[in-house]
Amino acid sequence: MRNKKNEILTLLFFFLLIGTALNIPSSSYFIIKYPDYFPKPLYDFNKNPLTPEGVELGRHLFYDPILSKDSSISCSNCHLSYTAFTHVDHKLSHGINDSIGTRNSPSLINLAWSELFMWDGAVNHLDVQALAPISHPAEMGESIENVVVKLQSTKRYPMLFQQVFNDSIITGEKLLKVISQFELTLVSQNSKYDSVMRKETVFNNQEQRGYKVFQNNCNSCHTEPLFTSYQFKNNGLAIDSILNDVGRYRITNNPNDSLKFKIPTLRNIEFSYPYMHDGRFKSISEVLKHYEKGILYSSTLANELKTPIGLTHEEKVDLTAFLLTLTDRDFLFNSNFSYPKTNNIEITEGYK
Amino acid sequence: MKLLLFTFFLSISSLLIKAQTHLKIKVLPILNNEPIVLNDATKDDVIITNLKFYLSSFSLTQNNGEVYIEENSYHLIDLSKPETVNIAFPLIENKTLENLTFLLGIDSVTNVSGVMGGDLDPTKGMYWAWNSGYINFKIEGTKNSIPFEFHLGGYAAPYQTAQKIEVDLKESEEMVLYLDLSDFLNKIDINTNNKVMSPGKTSQELSILLATLFYAK
Ligand code: HEC
Ligand code: HEC
Repeated sequence: MRNKKNEILTLLFFFLLIGTALNIPSSSYFIIKYPDYFPKPLYDFNKNPLTPEGVELGRHLFYDPILSKDSSISCSNCHLSYTAFTHVDHKLSHGINDSIGTRNSPSLINLAWSELFMWDGAVNHLDVQALAPISHPAEMGESIENVVVKLQSTKRYPMLFQQVFNDSIITGEKLLKVISQFELTLVSQNSKYDSVMRKETVFNNQEQRGYKVFQNNCNSCHTEPLFTSYQFKNNGLAIDSILNDVGRYRITNNPNDSLKFKIPTLRNIEFSYPYMHDGRFKSISEVLKHYEKGILYSSTLANELKTPIGLTHEEKVDLTAFLLTLTDRDFLFNSNFSYPKTNNIEITEGYK
Repeated sequence: MKLLLFTFFLSISSLLIKAQTHLKIKVLPILNNEPIVLNDATKDDVIITNLKFYLSSFSLTQNNGEVYIEENSYHLIDLSKPETVNIAFPLIENKTLENLTFLLGIDSVTNVSGVMGGDLDPTKGMYWAWNSGYINFKIEGTKNSIPFEFHLGGYAAPYQTAQKIEVDLKESEEMVLYLDLSDFLNKIDINTNNKVMSPGKTSQELSILLATLFYAK
């Protein structure tokens, strides 16, 4: 049933043939496909209209270690498509020269709906996000200036930029915009939960009970249908004395923001372990144990968590069953998201 | 006959060109009454190695009341690139300039609008990757052999740093906009305050100080 090729569900995009009033060489635009129970994306597509060529070029760059200092690390090293674009098995991300970062790499899902990025909201727009890993000494250790010079001196990239922008001169703006274009296509909207919302199937009894537990205890922060409200909250984790990460406080300098972190989406949670900003929990059951017994009281603790969440064993099993309905195999195994097969921009059938 | 026609066209076209002249502004950072030259070790106790800043949102009022607002008004002044210190605006002939306003830095809306090109391109080295936002003003160097680095910026409340600057003058075609950094470098105690690399209170205070150091002649 899940594999049924359904027109409405076909991932992501369809072509709109528009007479090119805008100065875009491509003859067609990409429209991101999302169900009607999703809110409107926050990303302003007018400022960076997606085209099939732009998305493909962004994908090439996402998978190309040329973006790092010694050409050893690409974005995909820390954001793997098969694990919802997170770094499995590593609590903290690993960058060039085996340097270890200070945070767990988050999954990249439904980014068009997010206002702020990173666990502490340090980045205020998707287009400028890639500047952070490119320049971080423990991630890619490069500079955007040099990446542009390197790309311009290749045989391949000036040609590919020509195809997208009608101009082979590469700039920071163009580079970042096409990376965004690819990332914006990473829309997860075809889990069992989504099929239920679309009334194509129903939850089993256990999932249904778990859904109730979820709505009562988790939905205020991990809000449907995106499974995050994109707010910053302190969910009662004890501060790691070595990393000493104060979260949003570092950005706002406001003590009321101490220990607050961006609420992550729970879509594809089955595959995006380890969990939390520092990857301290390996399994969903450890996470539930935290919410049940591990909440640490502090002045910025979220109100929702001040009264303990009491969950019976059965409720935890049911809740877990529900969380597994957020797994979206069409997202995880989407061939349009994985390593590009050729050096050229090929617009595959999958996009049509 | 041909010659006559030619002169006729020539005079017409020169008339058309004349109708719109330009206001040319030369931005001139000075220190102790002398234009700043990068890496100049011959003069004082101060050596400036890098000086870059944004002037934006220019608006000109002429003496007939007409206001010219420049679109996409972002100018990165970079002392290592002499061509960047000259800015030009269209000006209607015979009307003189009354008033000029601009921002030192980049406004808040632009700061949250994603990536941009031209002078705002992140390859210009004036963008903070790990706390998004433009660096409005960058000065690096040494004073009495003590290195200093001031990267000033920040757009979010309560530490907004972009400063509105207004200069009154009766001028028509060319003006020099001075930025006298003597006071900036004198008022700061370089021994204790020599590095600002992020938004916040100090960034804001120094930006307010800088805004008072512009004047036109
Ligand atoms: C060395 C590992 C590493 C590399 C390489 C890396 N990232 Fe990340 N990524 C992370 C970590 C860790 C975070 C969280 C950072 C934080 O919160 O401070 C992150 C966060 C993000 C986010 C924010 C997601 C959100 O919802 O807030 C995006 C988007 C992203 N990365 C995209 C990219 C892109 C594009 C590249 C390549 C240019 C890249 N990453 C390279 C580790 C990495
Ligand atoms: C007060 C808001 C709030 C409530 C209520 C809440 N969470 Fe969270 N949740 C967060 C925040 C914030 C984080 C990230 C914390 C961090 O990493 O520092 C998080 C992280 C998680 C993660 C890790 C996700 C990842 O990708 O790392 C899981 C799983 C999770 N929550 C499940 C739940 C479940 C299940 C419930 C209900 C029992 C729940 N949460 C209730 C705010 C909340």
